[in-house]
Amino acid sequence: MISGGLNYVSSAPAFSNDGKRFLVCSGTTVSVFSTATGSLVSSLQGHTGPVTAVVVVPTTASLLCYCWTASIDGTIRQWNYSIPECVKILDLRVPIFSLVVPSVLFTREENDAKSSPNVIAYVSVENRDAQDKRPKPRFGQIRKCNLTNFHTVSNLILRETELPESLTISPSGKFMGIKDKRKLQIWKVPKMDSNSAVSKKITLHHTKTFTVLAFHPSERIVAAGDVTGRILIWRGFGAHKFLNSNGLVNAGSTDKEDKPGVRENDDAESCTTWHWHSSGVRHLSFSSDGAYLYSGGMEGVLVLWHLDTGNKKTLPRIGSPLVYFVDSPDSSLSLLSCADNQIHILKMPSMDIIRSISGIKLFTQLPVCLSSRVAFDCASGLVAVQTENYRIQFYSLFADRGVYEVQVCERNHQPVDEVTLVVSLVELSVDGTMMGTVEVKLPEDGIGGLVCLKFWDLDDNKRFSVSTLIYEPHRDAHISAVAFHPTRHMAVSSSYGGDFKIWVCNEEIQQKGQMLQNTGWMCHAVGSYKNKAMRAVAFSADGSVLAVAADTVITLWDPYNNVLVAVIGETPMPISSLVFAGRSDYLLSVSNGSKPQLSVWSMSKLAASWSYRLQIEAVSSAIDWSYFAVLALLPEMNNRTFKGDGLILLFNVTDPVPVTYWSVTKAKGGGLTFLKGDPSEASVIDGKPSQTLLAYINGDREYVIFHPYGKEACELSITRQDDLTFEETVQSGYTSIYGELPKFDLKRNMASSISSAASERPWETIFSGSSHSLPPLTKLCSEFLESLLEKRTKTIE
Amino acid sequence: MEEAKVQRNFPVKPKLKSKPRTPKKTPESKYWSSFKTQQIPDLISVPSLTFSPTAPHSFAAAHSASLTLYSSQTLSPTATISSFSDAVSCASFRSDALLLAASDLSGLVQVFDTRSRTRLRRLRSHTRPVRFVHFPVLDKLHLISAGDDALVKYWDVAEEAPVAEFLGHKDYVRCGDSSPVNSDVFITGSYDHVVKLWDVRVRDSKSSVQVNHGAPVEDAIFLPSGGMVATAGGNSIKLWDLIGGGRLLFSMESHNKTVTSICVGRIGKDFGAESNQFRIMSVGLDGYFKVFDYGSFKVTHSMRFPAPLLSVAYSPDCSTRVIGSSNGLIYASKRKVKSSEEEKESESSSFWRVAPVERTEKRLLRPSHFRYFHRGQGEKPSAGDYLVMKPKKAKLAEHDKLLNKFEHAEALVSVLESKNPGNVLAVMEELVARKKLLKCVSNLGVEKLELLLVFLHKYCTVPRYSSLLMGLAKKVLEMRADDIRASQTLKRHVRNLKRSVEEEIRVQQSLQEIQGIISPLLKIAGR
Repeated sequence: MISGGLNYVSSAPAFSNDGKRFLVCSGTTVSVFSTATGSLVSSLQGHTGPVTAVVVVPTTASLLCYCWTASIDGTIRQWNYSIPECVKILDLRVPIFSLVVPSVLFTREENDAKSSPNVIAYVSVENRDAQDKRPKPRFGQIRKCNLTNFHTVSNLILRETELPESLTISPSGKFMGIKDKRKLQIWKVPKMDSNSAVSKKITLHHTKTFTVLAFHPSERIVAAGDVTGRILIWRGFGAHKFLNSNGLVNAGSTDKEDKPGVRENDDAESCTTWHWHSSGVRHLSFSSDGAYLYSGGMEGVLVLWHLDTGNKKTLPRIGSPLVYFVDSPDSSLSLLSCADNQIHILKMPSMDIIRSISGIKLFTQLPVCLSSRVAFDCASGLVAVQTENYRIQFYSLFADRGVYEVQVCERNHQPVDEVTLVVSLVELSVDGTMMGTVEVKLPEDGIGGLVCLKFWDLDDNKRFSVSTLIYEPHRDAHISAVAFHPTRHMAVSSSYGGDFKIWVCNEEIQQKGQMLQNTGWMCHAVGSYKNKAMRAVAFSADGSVLAVAADTVITLWDPYNNVLVAVIGETPMPISSLVFAGRSDYLLSVSNGSKPQLSVWSMSKLAASWSYRLQIEAVSSAIDWSYFAVLALLPEMNNRTFKGDGLILLFNVTDPVPVTYWSVTKAKGGGLTFLKGDPSEASVIDGKPSQTLLAYINGDREYVIFHPYGKEACELSITRQDDLTFEETVQSGYTSIYGELPKFDLKRNMASSISSAASERPWETIFSGSSHSLPPLTKLCSEFLESLLEKRTKTIE
Repeated sequence: MEEAKVQRNFPVKPKLKSKPRTPKKTPESKYWSSFKTQQIPDLISVPSLTFSPTAPHSFAAAHSASLTLYSSQTLSPTATISSFSDAVSCASFRSDALLLAASDLSGLVQVFDTRSRTRLRRLRSHTRPVRFVHFPVLDKLHLISAGDDALVKYWDVAEEAPVAEFLGHKDYVRCGDSSPVNSDVFITGSYDHVVKLWDVRVRDSKSSVQVNHGAPVEDAIFLPSGGMVATAGGNSIKLWDLIGGGRLLFSMESHNKTVTSICVGRIGKDFGAESNQFRIMSVGLDGYFKVFDYGSFKVTHSMRFPAPLLSVAYSPDCSTRVIGSSNGLIYASKRKVKSSEEEKESESSSFWRVAPVERTEKRLLRPSHFRYFHRGQGEKPSAGDYLVMKPKKAKLAEHDKLLNKFEHAEALVSVLESKNPGNVLAVMEELVARKKLLKCVSNLGVEKLELLLVFLHKYCTVPRYSSLLMGLAKKVLEMRADDIRASQTLKRHVRNLKRSVEEEIRVQQSLQEIQGIISPLLKIAGR
C-alpha cells in the first residue's frame, strides 16, 4: 500500500541547524527535505494525528539534530531527525495546535548562567472537556508544560480563547504572543522558568481582526497584520510593565503624551501603520538582523519592507497566497510556503526562487455547473490535476511528487480575483500520449463567454504541448465529457447542447515522414440523438463501439462511419458517467440525482443486467479484467456503521454481489482508477510482473494505492459476503483491510525497522502516514484481538 | 525535482486564426506568383502578343487595327503602327528582331522595320483573312502565313512573292510554329482538328506528319527540343511526339473552356530543383492561366484572371509575362528581381568599372567624434568568446502595460485607437474575465464612445467577432442611450450600426433560404 498526496503547508516548515535540511509537517508525518536537491531525505513517522508544529533545537554541535513536534493526537515527541528516530514521547491528552519552546532560543551564555535544567514549553491546546457554561465557550487554552520531566501539563492557563490560536515567539525567546480577535496578547517569558513561574502580560488593541504577528529579533518591536491588509508596528511595547518591574526605569517611556499612534491604554511607545496589501496579511516575519520585515498575503506577493524607512521591494507573481516564510540560520536561504501546496526555496538577498517542492495541488473552488475530475494516466501512474492558475499538474502517484506542470491558458492569475476562467475538464488517453482539456470563460452579464477545447501531444521532452485549439466546438454549449479512442488518434467530445463530435488527428501526414509538423485534429463527424443533452461518452476496449449517454438512454455508435447502432436504456435520472467494463461486453452507467443508479448493461443482449441504487462518485474498470470498482457515497445515517463517508466496492460484472469493499473517508469529490503496477513494487509484492493496483484519491487529494484482489483479501471477502448486516460489516471491514496487511507488512518491515505503535483504529487510518511502515505482526495481533473483543461487547449490548 | 519557476507575465493575445487546409505553396508556385501583375488598359481585344527575341525584349500587341510596341522594362507603349485597313490578327518578329511581320483580316501581310516602323513589304496573295504569320526561327529570308482560305503560304520576303503553297487543310488555319532545330520544317493547326507538319523541301503539298487533335486547333507550338509539339484546342492541351511519328503523349484537360493560346517559358531561377526547366503556359476563355510541367505531366501553377484570356507570351529572359484578354486589357507581369541578383548582374556586366579603392588606414576615433561613444557596440563575438546573455525583455504593448496597472478604461481606449480588431477583442475578453468591461463602457467619454461605436459598426457583423460584439453592442446601446441621444455624431454612428445589422440579417435570411434548398438535395444524395 502506497499513500501520499499530503499537505505540506499546513504549518510552518523549519530549517535544521546547519541549513542543509528542512522539516515540513506533512499529515501525520514530518518530512525532512534536502535544501540542495529538494528531494525527500527521510520522514519522521509516529504521530497518529496531523502534526501541527515542529521546533528544531538549535545547537552549535552539528551532530545533535533534535527537534520537537506537536500533533493533534495530543503528544509532543522529541526526535533525532538525522537518524531518524523518536527519542521521547510526552502525552498531553489534548489536541495541540501550537508549540513554542522559549528556552531553546536563549543564547548560550544565558543558558550557562541559568541553572534550571527544565525545558519549559508553551502549548496552545483545545480542551473540549472543560465544563463551560458560558454563552461563548472558550476551547482554546494557552498552557505551559515541562518537557524535561515529562510531567503532564501544568494547571496554569495563561489565556483562554474561543479557538486554539497559534503561538508566536520572539527570536530571542523573551516574548511570546498570540492574536485574539482585535487584540494582541504578549507575555514576557520569565528568565528563571518553572512550572509555577507567572509571566507578565500586556495587551495591544486594534479596530480590525488580527491575522498574524511577529517579534523583532533584538528590540522590543512587534508587528501585526490584519484582515484588511494593514501592517501595524509597535515600537517599545511593554516599556511600562516589563521594564519597570525589572527595575530599569525608563523616564521617557512613561510619558503619556508622547505615544504617536498608540491606542489609549496600550503599553507601547509608538505605533506605525503600513498599508500595501489589498487583502488579509497571511505572514509576517523580521529578517534575522532586524532591519527588514517580510510580509505576504492573499495576493501572492512577497514584500520586503525596510523597517526604518518603510521602503519596500517585492517578489511578485508567486501565483498563490503565501502562508509561511522561514529564514535559514545563516540567512542565505529561505522557505516560502504557498497555499497551493508548494514550498519554494529562495536564494536570499536576491529573492530568486531556486527550487520548488510541490505537493499535489488542492481543489479549486469551481462554479456549480462545472465538474472537476482529475484524470489518470494508468500506464505511468500519473494523475493530472487542474490547478487554480490555469495549469495542469502532473503528479506521480508512485513517487509522490509533482512531475511537471503545463500552462493551459495563457492568462495572468491573481489569487484574490474572482474566478472567471476555469479549466473544467482534463482527459488523458489510455496510453497517456494525448490529452484533451476544456477551458471555460464565464461571461460577464451574458457577454463574452467562451468554451475552448484543446488537444495536446507529448513532445520530445515527454511533456505535453498544444497541438490543436478549437474555439466553441459545440457552439456556445458547454462540453460535458471528452474521451479518447484506445488505439487510434481519435477523440470524442459531447456537449450539453445535444450533440457530440468525433475528432481525428491527421495520421496520414504523420506517417509520410517528412511533414511531421502541422498535424491538427479535425472534426470527423457530428452526431446527435433527439437533441438530448449528452453527458457522458466512452469507447469500448477495442474502440469499435462508442457509447454516448443521451439524457437517460445510452446510444451506441460506430465511431468510424458515424452510424447509430443501437439505443439502450433507460434510467430514471440523466446518466452522468459511462464506462465499459474492461474487455467484457458489459457497459456501466452511473446516474446521480434524486434517484441515483448504478447499472450494468449487457452489450450482447442490449439489456440491463443488474443495477444498484447507490450514489456513485467515481467508477473505474480494470483494462484487462472483468472487474470494476465504484466509489459510493454513503447516506448520512450510515456514518456510524461504516467509519468514513464513502465505500469502495469491487464488483465482477457478471455478479451483483461485490467481491470486496473498503470504507474510506472524504469520498466527496474523490476519484478512483486501476493502475498498472509499478515495476519496482511488483517484484517486491508478488513476483508477478503486471500487477493491477487500485488507486483512490479523496476529496482532499490525498491518495492511496493498494492491491484490490490479493489472494487473502478475496478469500476473506467471499466468506463474509453472505449477508450484509451492519454488525458484521464493521468486522468484515477490519478483516478486509487486515487481509492485505501481512503482504505489505513482511516485506516492508524487513527493509525499514522503524518500530512504531499500531494505530488504534486501522480501519479509519487507511490514509495515515503510518501505513508506510506498518507495525510488526506481534504488535498488530494484540491490537486486532482487542478491537474484536471490543466489537463483540458492543454487539452483546 | 521540479525546476524553479516564477509565473510569467502573459500579454493578452488575439484568438488564433485557423490555418488554411490547402497544402503549402511549392517553390515553383511561389516563383510563378512572384510576378507582379499590372494592367495595360484601353485596348479593344488582344488576339496576339509576341516578344522580340533580342534584348531588351520589347513586345508587340495586336489590337483592333493597330500594332503597339511596348517596352518590357517599363511596360509602357513605345510606338504604334496603325497602317492597317482591318483588324490585326497576328504579328511576328524576325530572329534578329530587325523586321516585324503583321497580318490583318483583309488578307494582307505587311513587313515593317522594327526601329523606324516604316513599311518595307506588302505581301498580298491571301484572299481571305490571314490569321497566322510567322518568321522561321533559323531563317531570315522567308515568312510563313496562313489564313481562313485554308492555304499555307511560304513567302520570299524580299521578292514579296509566295515561294510555295501548301494545300491540305480543310478549314481555317489559325496557328502554327516553326521548328527550333530545322529551318525548313514548320507546323500549322487548323479548325479541321488537324495539325500538319510541313517541309518546304517537299513541294507536293503533302504533309510529312499529321496529327488529329480532336477539336478545332487554337494554337500549336514546338517544344524547345524540336521533337515534340504541343497543340491546344477545345479545353485540352495535347503533347505529340513527332519523332515517334505523331504519337500522343499526354492530354492535359484542366481548363474548363477553350484554350486560346499556349507558349513555352523557362523558369529563370538559378537554384532549386526546377531551375531553368521549360514549362508550357496556357490561357483559356475560362480566365485561367496555367503552368504545365511537361516533364512530369503535371499542372504546377494556376491562377485566375477576371476576363476571358486570348493570348499569352513570355519573354526569353524570363522576366516578363504578358497575357491579353478579350475585354481589352493586357495583364503584364514583371518578376521582382532580388537586389542581390541584380547586383551580381550589374557587376558582371560592368566589368570595365573600376573597383573602389579600399581605405587601408583606419582613422583613429577621438572623443570629439560622435562615433567615439558608440565604438565597439557593433562588435561581433568571435568563436572562442564567452557570451554573457542579456535576459530577454518581454515587449509589452501599450494596452498590456495599462492592463497590468489595472487601468482598464485606458487600455480599452488605447487598443481601440490601435486599429487591430484581433487585439481589441483580446483586450475585451480580458476585461470580461476581470468583470470590468461593462464598467469601462459606462465610464467612457463621448469621444471615446464614438471610437467604440465606430469599431462596433465595423466589426460586429464579422462572424469571428460577432458572438461577443453583438452582445456588447446591445449593452452599449442600453447603457449609453442618453448620451447617444444627446450627440448628433453618435446618432449617426448608431444609424450606421443599425444598417449593417440589417444587412447582416438579410444575408442570414438568404443563407437560410439556400440551406433550405440544399438540405433536401443532400438528404437525397446521402441515400
